Amino acid sequence: MAHAIETHGLTRRFDDRVAVEGLSLTIEAGTVFGFLGPNGAGKTTTVRMLAALIAPTDGDAIVAGHTLGVDDTALRRSVGILTEQPGLYDRLSARQNLRYFARLYDLEPARVDSQVERYLQLLELWDRRDEPVGTFSKGMRQKLAIARALLHEPTVVFLDEPTAALDPEAARTVRDFVKGLRAEGRTIFLTTHNLPEADELCDSIGIFQRRLLRMGSPSELRAILFGAGTIVRVVGDAAPYVPVARSLPFVREVRTDGETLTVQLDDPDSRNPDLVDALRAAGARIRYVERLQHSLEDVYLRLVGGHE
Amino acid sequence: MKKALVVLEKEFLELRLQRGLLFATLFLPPTMTAFAVLAFFAAGRFAANLNTGGVPLPPEFAGLSPQELGQAIVGRQFSVLFLLLPIFIPSVLASYAIVGEKRERTLEPVLATPIRTWELLLGKTLAALIPALAITIASATLFVVGVLSFAVSDRVRNLIVTPGWILAVLVDTPLLALIGVALIVVLSSRVNDPRTAQQFSAVLVVPVLALLFGQLAGVIVLGPALALGIGVILAAVAAGALWLAARLFQREVILTRWR
Repeated sequence: MAHAIETHGLTRRFDDRVAVEGLSLTIEAGTVFGFLGPNGAGKTTTVRMLAALIAPTDGDAIVAGHTLGVDDTALRRSVGILTEQPGLYDRLSARQNLRYFARLYDLEPARVDSQVERYLQLLELWDRRDEPVGTFSKGMRQKLAIARALLHEPTVVFLDEPTAALDPEAARTVRDFVKGLRAEGRTIFLTTHNLPEADELCDSIGIFQRRLLRMGSPSELRAILFGAGTIVRVVGDAAPYVPVARSLPFVREVRTDGETLTVQLDDPDSRNPDLVDALRAAGARIRYVERLQHSLEDVYLRLVGGHE
Repeated sequence: MKKALVVLEKEFLELRLQRGLLFATLFLPPTMTAFAVLAFFAAGRFAANLNTGGVPLPPEFAGLSPQELGQAIVGRQFSVLFLLLPIFIPSVLASYAIVGEKRERTLEPVLATPIRTWELLLGKTLAALIPALAITIASATLFVVGVLSFAVSDRVRNLIVTPGWILAVLVDTPLLALIGVALIVVLSSRVNDPRTAQQFSAVLVVPVLALLFGQLAGVIVLGPALALGIGVILAAVAAGALWLAARLFQREVILTRWR
């Protein structure tokens, strides 16, 4: 699969302060990449560099086939960006806002109106197309800003907090829309603080705090940080069965809490029958067995917490 | 260049939707001009007992009848209005076009498009200059027509509609307007309220007022040579101001340094 974004040692300093340090990553085309990190971690600076809005101090990048700093105008034509603030002209209507940007993005005159209509329809704003944007709700403004980022059909789209401050229904619409973009083969670079959202949408995730702390798919990150695991609930106190579980060669760690045994082990799919057999042989009466599932929040907090 | 025109078109569209701004910039000057013509007309009719109270008058006013003197004083004072308009109008328009855009956070999405920063700056500058110059020249024409129609003598006409004044309107005012816009861009990097930018840019009025008082006191005679000389100085100042504005109006600077 081709790479939509490739960076090597991308660095940005502001005077003495290093905002982004040696960022090297590769994002495959047609995937959703989640860029997670605390406030002030350098995420917006990274997005601005990759969208050719500001220049890196060091390092290089190829975005949508364009080398950063070589033909930035062409690069900007190939990417779409949803900025942290929607930044819309309140006095102009939704249609006038989009027409303005369609022309700035070099759309052929014949396509301007059809593209504007297409995205206003897709984002369910067509009925309000001629109303001033100043009368729009936060959710409608956000949807309009997303439409603006897509008008010129970019192959790479940067979305900075697309569902921040949206009500659940509007957030769901935006998430579904992002899934639709991925299905169209576009690459999405998603900056978010909403970890369940990142878990739902992203094929890969980079956890970032001035530099890239870790990158992988959500399940890879869980496995790397926490290993695989199984939760066994027994009848009565589980503590007597801890030594039994620990004696098994494939078990890495065992914790207990009341009736629950939490067992870290390699390859639960093939080892769980052996674990259950051993516990039953020791007299355990098993209520049920389930997969240990760490949230992305656990992953994030462990990585970011360890670097603060 | 094409995108500068797209920006210009959008600015005009926004201006049309801002009634207060539209009134202040486009309708107030002709109204003031009409008032100036009316005052000029009245001075020629009702200045029979004009008493200047010992205020020194320009030497070229010597020997004028009271009616002529009344019209000459009123006409001279109002003629300076057309040197002030090109400072005020573009400053107001540019303040809303640039500081307003900064405040609404609309600059970043615009800068994310393939537009070049000089195209954006050119579009914004033209959007402030074109209405300002159009309205100034239209108002000045109205004033000239009024002066030529209602002057009580040819001497009065020649004292007000002078080659120096015409040159100042045609050469100096566009340069003053350009300096006004450049100053707003420079101020935009520091202020977040269009009105603050306008207040700072009002400093440009000072040299024009000095010219007015100098003329009325007879110290300065605005002849063609002086108008052209001022034009040369203004051109140099405008070049410097535009250079500074262009340095500040860069993607990188706007996104990382403008506060």
